[in-house]
Amino acid sequence: MRYDVVTTPIDARELEAVVTHAGAGAICTFSGIVRDNSRGQSVTHLDYEAYAEMAVPQMKKIGQEIKDRWPEARVAMAHRTGHLEIGEVSVVVAVSCPHRQEAFEACKWGIDRLKESVPIWKKEHAADGTFWIEGDEKKPVG
Amino acid sequence: MSVAIAVRVRFFARLRELTGVDVEEVKSTPGATVASVYAAMRADHPALPRQDGVSAALNHEFVDWNVTISEGDEVAFIPPVSGGEI
Repeated sequence: MRYDVVTTPIDARELEAVVTHAGAGAICTFSGIVRDNSRGQSVTHLDYEAYAEMAVPQMKKIGQEIKDRWPEARVAMAHRTGHLEIGEVSVVVAVSCPHRQEAFEACKWGIDRLKESVPIWKKEHAADGTFWIEGDEKKPVG
Repeated sequence: MSVAIAVRVRFFARLRELTGVDVEEVKSTPGATVASVYAAMRADHPALPRQDGVSAALNHEFVDWNVTISEGDEVAFIPPVSGGEI
């Protein structure tokens, strides 16, 4: 298991190596990538900010939720903070399970819960301005 | 007679920018709640939004607004997290 908030590029293969083992027939890895557009506007780059002392325990809690539902799962998650360019990886969730069905489900659980409960915020630098993204809303900076 | 208690207050993302503060040591009174700390912070920083739409965390756990604080606690006020389209 590994749960990290990092300022350097995330290597998804490294997280897969954390969860791989002889009994795991399936590894499902979700990678979140910085996109060049949002809400119909072009995006130049993002800044992510985390409450790291809380984010890591919240990630561990999600890992435990996965273990409660899929006891054979192994989980690794990392989220990057700071300045990210288009095409860079912002978040990775890797889950191994004996079979693919539970690996897909557990990985989806992991990224969905991370997006709703881990205190990490995104500031979007877009053609129409700079915004904090709060759930479904974008709030102008300043 | 009540003795003041010291807590550490943290702001993040948009709330940090609105207050210009990322961490502040504040004195409060025994029995104070997370909500009363936020109300006091709003008095000092009028740019802060109303409590609805903000979440509170106490010592790195999400909590209800009516939870009582203790000496040495860390209280964080948290805007909605990024979410993201599914």
